[in-house]
Amino acid sequence: MSEPELRLDPAIRIWVFLPIVLITFLVGIVRHYVSVLLTSAKSVALNQVMDSQLLIRSRMLRENAKFLPKQSFLMRRHHMNNEDNGILKNQLSRTTVQPNPMTDPSMMTDMLKGNLTNVLPMIVIGGWINWHFSGFVTTKVPFPLTLRFKPMLQRGIELMSLDASWVSSASWYFLNVFGLRSIYALVLGENNSADQSRVMQDQMSMQAGGMPQDPKQAFKAEWEALEVTEHHFALKNVEVDMMAVVGPTGDDLYHQNQKSIH
Amino acid sequence: MNVQEGRELLRSWREDNVRRSMDVVDLWDSLLSQDPEALGDEKWMVLEQVAVAAMDVQRRDVVERCLKRLKAEFDLDSIRVRRLYGMRHEMMGDWESALKLYDTILEEDSANSSARKRKIAIHRAKGERPQAIGELSRYLNDFLCDTEAWMELCDLYLEERDYAKAAYCCEELILHNPNNHIYFQRYAEIKYTQGGMDNIEMAKTYYAKTLSLNPDNIRALYGILLASFQLASSNKMPAPKKQEFMKMVMWSSKQIQKRYQTKNAPIDPSRFIQAFVSQPPNGQSGASS
Repeated sequence: MSEPELRLDPAIRIWVFLPIVLITFLVGIVRHYVSVLLTSAKSVALNQVMDSQLLIRSRMLRENAKFLPKQSFLMRRHHMNNEDNGILKNQLSRTTVQPNPMTDPSMMTDMLKGNLTNVLPMIVIGGWINWHFSGFVTTKVPFPLTLRFKPMLQRGIELMSLDASWVSSASWYFLNVFGLRSIYALVLGENNSADQSRVMQDQMSMQAGGMPQDPKQAFKAEWEALEVTEHHFALKNVEVDMMAVVGPTGDDLYHQNQKSIH
Repeated sequence: MNVQEGRELLRSWREDNVRRSMDVVDLWDSLLSQDPEALGDEKWMVLEQVAVAAMDVQRRDVVERCLKRLKAEFDLDSIRVRRLYGMRHEMMGDWESALKLYDTILEEDSANSSARKRKIAIHRAKGERPQAIGELSRYLNDFLCDTEAWMELCDLYLEERDYAKAAYCCEELILHNPNNHIYFQRYAEIKYTQGGMDNIEMAKTYYAKTLSLNPDNIRALYGILLASFQLASSNKMPAPKKQEFMKMVMWSSKQIQKRYQTKNAPIDPSRFIQAFVSQPPNGQSGASS
């Protein structure tokens, strides 16, 4: 086929194809700076620090107790685990209050800010692009595609006869939203907040993962693990190791020494 | 050295927590003080680093200059700047104002560990050891994994000659990093100082661990020599065990002598080691029998 099946008006390139790229890109940049302005530095509550450090210490105790004398290990385990007032045990009986977004205003504002910078521009800009640039065939991907790709690449154009590799304006916008990530990384540096696709991933995983898990579970697991930990003193034969590392064994020297004395 | 290199050097020191205050201030004087603006966004961190280093070496002019610049940019609302001002008060010996500043930080951010540590440091600087120990214990109750604080508490207890508690702190350090030979050496030294046959035997084990981690630790080698000798000269030890310990004495003294021969040491300890070893422990000759 020497003739292309469709010839696009060059004006579409100038007034639809390029503007969509430009708009998505600039919106991403603006989003980045707005979210930098809006995010409040997260302050960590003392309780959370204490909880995590307690868990870390308990894990350390399990892993490295073999380097301590048995007495010291037992003392520490008692301090952590004993029935009456072990610190891990206390954590188990502590009533944890699930943070309620309705009663905690700072959580509410954080959520609002998140929505303001993430979801709102997506809806507004997406809607506007759909409305303003609807119905254009903007470009063609340079390889053949199966019919299944039609709803993905040709949103807004319901034409059975059109080849699947043609891209409609609305789909071009979505391709841009997802595809500009590396350009943002180039312009704004890593970990920018311009990228919308990451936000969408976050939202999806949020539904799967649910709320932050109950610290009680972690404490319970740690308590059990510590309870069954046995103490094997790792330094039992350390003097043999040491002699192997440092120099000839004491026996040889001893005999030599004896000889020299005799 | 140009500005770029100096800045990279400072960054690597900052990231590795190297305390080379003299060098930092020298670098500032010779290179960066003419034009701190050339550092770009990094200049705030550099200013903070230089200010702390200058406090270390009592260069008040540098401290004032850095703090003024930081204050002009961030004002005293910034917790970090406020902490620096607190440290400046400490440098001047104005404990009251420093404490007041740290308290305002803690009101805002109760999880701010550096402000709490500064308050403990003030107790230490004033020589109030019991208060420092109390505060530090409370601090460690909240921040269980702060090795720096455990180390400090260990030091404090040693100054109080409370060896059992110092040993506890040192055990904590070993738990956090069982590959650091210095921690093992220190634990062994505390145990040795505590005294008693069990403790000295434990000390010997830990000296041995130190040596197997770092065969060049001469202090641990001396430790083994002393601990073994103590054990061998005890009256309560059964004879076969005594033999063992005497072997250890021989081995370690040989090792020490070898080191001094190979390393061209200015002193030759072999004479006193020889003298030390050859005196029969408590009338019983262990080695030559």
